[in-house]
Amino acid sequence: MSAIRNTFGRVSGLVPFWVWCLVWLLAAIAFGFIGDEVFSDELYDASITTLGYVMMALGLNIVVGFAGLLDLGYVAFYAIGAFMGGWLMSAQFSDRDIHFLVSDVTEKLPGIHLNFFLVIFLAAAVTAFWGAVLGAPTLRLRGDYLAIVTLAFGEIVPRVFELSESGLFGIGSTNWSNGRQGITPVDKPFAPIPGLDEITRLDITPYFFIALFMVVLVLFLNFRLRDSRLGRAWIAVREDEVAAAAMGVNLVRVKLWAYAIGAAIGGFAGAFLGVYRNTVNVDQFEFGFSVFILAMIIIGGMGNIGGVIAGAITLSLFERFALPELNPLTQSLIDFDITAISFGIFGFFLLAMMILRPEGFIPNRRRKMELHEGEDDETATGPGDESLYAVRG
Amino acid sequence: MRLPRVPAMSRSTRLGGEVMADLLVATNVTKRFGGLTAVDNVDFAVPEKSIVTIIGPNGAGKTTFFNCMTGLYKPTTGKVTFDGKDITAKPPHVVTQAGVARTFQNIKLFKTMTVLENVQVGRHARLKSRITGMILRTPFVRREEEEVERRSRELLAIVGLERRRYQDLASSLPYGDQRRLEIARALASDPRLLLLDEPTAGMNPQESDELTVLMDKLRTELGIAILLIEHDMKVVMGVSDHITVLDGGQKIAAGNPQEVRKNPRVIEAYLGSQA
Amino acid sequence: MEAASIPQTPTPPQRKLGDVLRDNSLWLIFGLVLVLLAIIDLKEQDNILPLANNIKDGLSVGTIWALIALGYTLVYGIIELINFAHGEVFMIGSFITVSLFVTFGLTEDTALFGLIIGMFAALVIAMLGSGVLNVMIERVAYRPLRGAPKLASLITAIGMSFILQNVGLLWRPTPDSAPDLIKSQVELFTLFGVDVVRSDVFAVAVTIPLLFALLYFVGQTKYGKAMRATAQDPDAARLMGIDVNKTISLTFLLGGLMAGAAGLIYALYNLTIQFNQGFTAGLIAFTAAVMGGIGNLKGAVVGGLLIGFVQQTVESRVDNGSAWAPAVVFAILVLVMVFRPQGLFGEETREG
Repeated sequence: MSAIRNTFGRVSGLVPFWVWCLVWLLAAIAFGFIGDEVFSDELYDASITTLGYVMMALGLNIVVGFAGLLDLGYVAFYAIGAFMGGWLMSAQFSDRDIHFLVSDVTEKLPGIHLNFFLVIFLAAAVTAFWGAVLGAPTLRLRGDYLAIVTLAFGEIVPRVFELSESGLFGIGSTNWSNGRQGITPVDKPFAPIPGLDEITRLDITPYFFIALFMVVLVLFLNFRLRDSRLGRAWIAVREDEVAAAAMGVNLVRVKLWAYAIGAAIGGFAGAFLGVYRNTVNVDQFEFGFSVFILAMIIIGGMGNIGGVIAGAITLSLFERFALPELNPLTQSLIDFDITAISFGIFGFFLLAMMILRPEGFIPNRRRKMELHEGEDDETATGPGDESLYAVRG
Repeated sequence: MRLPRVPAMSRSTRLGGEVMADLLVATNVTKRFGGLTAVDNVDFAVPEKSIVTIIGPNGAGKTTFFNCMTGLYKPTTGKVTFDGKDITAKPPHVVTQAGVARTFQNIKLFKTMTVLENVQVGRHARLKSRITGMILRTPFVRREEEEVERRSRELLAIVGLERRRYQDLASSLPYGDQRRLEIARALASDPRLLLLDEPTAGMNPQESDELTVLMDKLRTELGIAILLIEHDMKVVMGVSDHITVLDGGQKIAAGNPQEVRKNPRVIEAYLGSQA
Repeated sequence: MEAASIPQTPTPPQRKLGDVLRDNSLWLIFGLVLVLLAIIDLKEQDNILPLANNIKDGLSVGTIWALIALGYTLVYGIIELINFAHGEVFMIGSFITVSLFVTFGLTEDTALFGLIIGMFAALVIAMLGSGVLNVMIERVAYRPLRGAPKLASLITAIGMSFILQNVGLLWRPTPDSAPDLIKSQVELFTLFGVDVVRSDVFAVAVTIPLLFALLYFVGQTKYGKAMRATAQDPDAARLMGIDVNKTISLTFLLGGLMAGAAGLIYALYNLTIQFNQGFTAGLIAFTAAVMGGIGNLKGAVVGGLLIGFVQQTVESRVDNGSAWAPAVVFAILVLVMVFRPQGLFGEETREG
């Protein structure tokens, strides 16, 4: 395994980074055009949702991988982004009549209908705000306390949507979420450019390219931030908060930025997924999703951008295909529907991963060091963190 | 038996012929943890460009005092000013921005970062890049990043770390070099006062000498005042302009090295603690 | 640690009113809520019967939360880890209970003597099953990661939780009903105008002896002493000759026993069991543990009862209350963890 990695490392070292990016990009574009013919329609559809998940993983990677803030409630941002899409691109608020840069057909529909490309950025901005709001109370919490609070938020936010079918918390009478039915249909993306001006749900190729475009933007953001002073500050904060603060890092500001940007990306992707699936429904937002995205980062190698992408693609496709494909085999051999234990297999996978290879398959050298630090210490009884008490900050 | 208070240093001090203003002034600083008084009513001052050392038996409250100065702890009572500005109980990053930097007793380097990256983080407080700039990598940001790297390399050279090690992980450095790296990192914020917590701990005599030379260099070439906690008496006597002695959280003596060495209370504190 | 300064008898710092208020803030808030609800009731009906009912219901359902919360608090106290899979241990306890009822052939018509023997046996077996399960979870998911960062253990805990939920799902894919063996809704007596039914008495009757037994065990036996020593300072405990690994396993066993009992009470109280009851129950009980002061046994019990009260109040007074109640409890969790992480009975952290 490491032999493969070493050769890969050596080969990739020969070629400048931007060439690699170009190669991957071209491969993706090629897939975009011929994917549904060379492979199945199902795979093509899965690849589009996978691109959405890749964005989410990259977003969560900023919070968990870079800044080291254990966030178990990422699904909240998915929900906010998706509902933003639902509110601003559907007939949900049919008593209003606002249109902006939409297709002629949509122009005539009641409700709020804004241009998709505007909406995804609006969703990102709004979600960023909520990321900071939900992150603020957690700033002085450590490790598992932080995780539980973020988990609680991840439960509260979808429930707020669920319980706001007639009025927010029952106040007022606006139907914010349409309860169990959800908001459907949602507008298709539109831009007065050939290729994007007549998008239907029959040909999903435009969706692929839109998603790819969004992924490229998110990647760009990731790389730039990682190599900036904020990125360095994040890693310092993750490593040693006390030392980071003593070096002049404003812990509050740096952590809030991590939450805000991570959330923004979640909302960005969430809006897209809501549009692509043509429905926004509270049932889509569950704790399991937060763990799903977290698992992508863990498998891929936390903090390592390439690893996270690989993890996202792997897990997404595995979830979609591996078990259903395996099913006929297990049915015939031992008469067992293997998809019934997909949840359990996922759990087992998490377990095995953390025990055997917590740094992920394509580890960031930092993470590998951090995670194996306590290994030779057989006498340890407690977790390896040094600072037990939250330092003011 | 309550020991009579030792008077604080006067506001300006003669130092090598020049009169220096006090840079850091601590007045009546006390730190209590529940029932335990770790620092008891300490007055203290560090003049510009001087090297002041705090000594005392183990457990005397030295590091706690440091932590009170730098915002890691909130003093229970008392006031700390730096360059005239009140920095009492301000968060650590504000203290650093004001011009105070520090190292730690157990080295707190960012172990998974490289040597160079550690120093670059140290410069965080002085950088002005903003989010949009970072994302777009504007010329301003590019220039700032170049300056950071250049300055970091400079500082690493000043503390005497070899260039070929700059991309190594900080944790791969030998102990003595790690201490130097920590100092370089602290220097990156352009401090006017550097707090060093037992910088020669674990060093051999030659390394200690080199560190002494470095401290003097920092003072004369960079004009930085240094406040030190030290146990190595050779270093203390050799480099200090002024020594303060803490015992049991209280200040029991202060003066220049000759005065302190002969002070009976100091001798008793050290001998007494060995009994 | 640091040598104390030469003592001049220190005058203890004056306790200002602000400090007193802040230290007891949670109690004060609770008191205020009670007063508020009483006022609302008096206005609407001239008596505080609804409030009294809320209290009564809260106390009885609260026993379930208290028992589960004890499991969380015991484990956190000794290894500073949130046993994420604890909710599922509770769920399995319920499942074992109902299966045993069926196996023993217990129905509502069984004679009283047989009923008591059968239920007691089910209780013991369910408790042991949950206890052993909890011990296994520690061995498999937590022990290998003792020195690793918190994140790793949290992930394995989640993984374990998912595995167990899937086990539950395979066992009972749809919600199952438990036989109403104690005829739960039959009124037994009326106290201050409040109707007390059998399930209330049953819950309390099962819980109280267990609590006393647990408190005795932890407080008075040498095993309990070992647990407390390990919780305070594992290294020192080891040096004293305490087998830390065994002590930790014992702690998990006790926590599991409590969760198993909670499972049985829940089955007979709620009369329906399903594979995902552990997730929400776990979070609610965890809130109780945190509110009481994590690591504090007394706190876990009081927290459980208080959360039970909150839950019942919300469910009975708010439209769509049963959907609201978990959201309210989670909000309380966040508020407590942020503003008063030490809960009701916990200690201040060093830099409070």
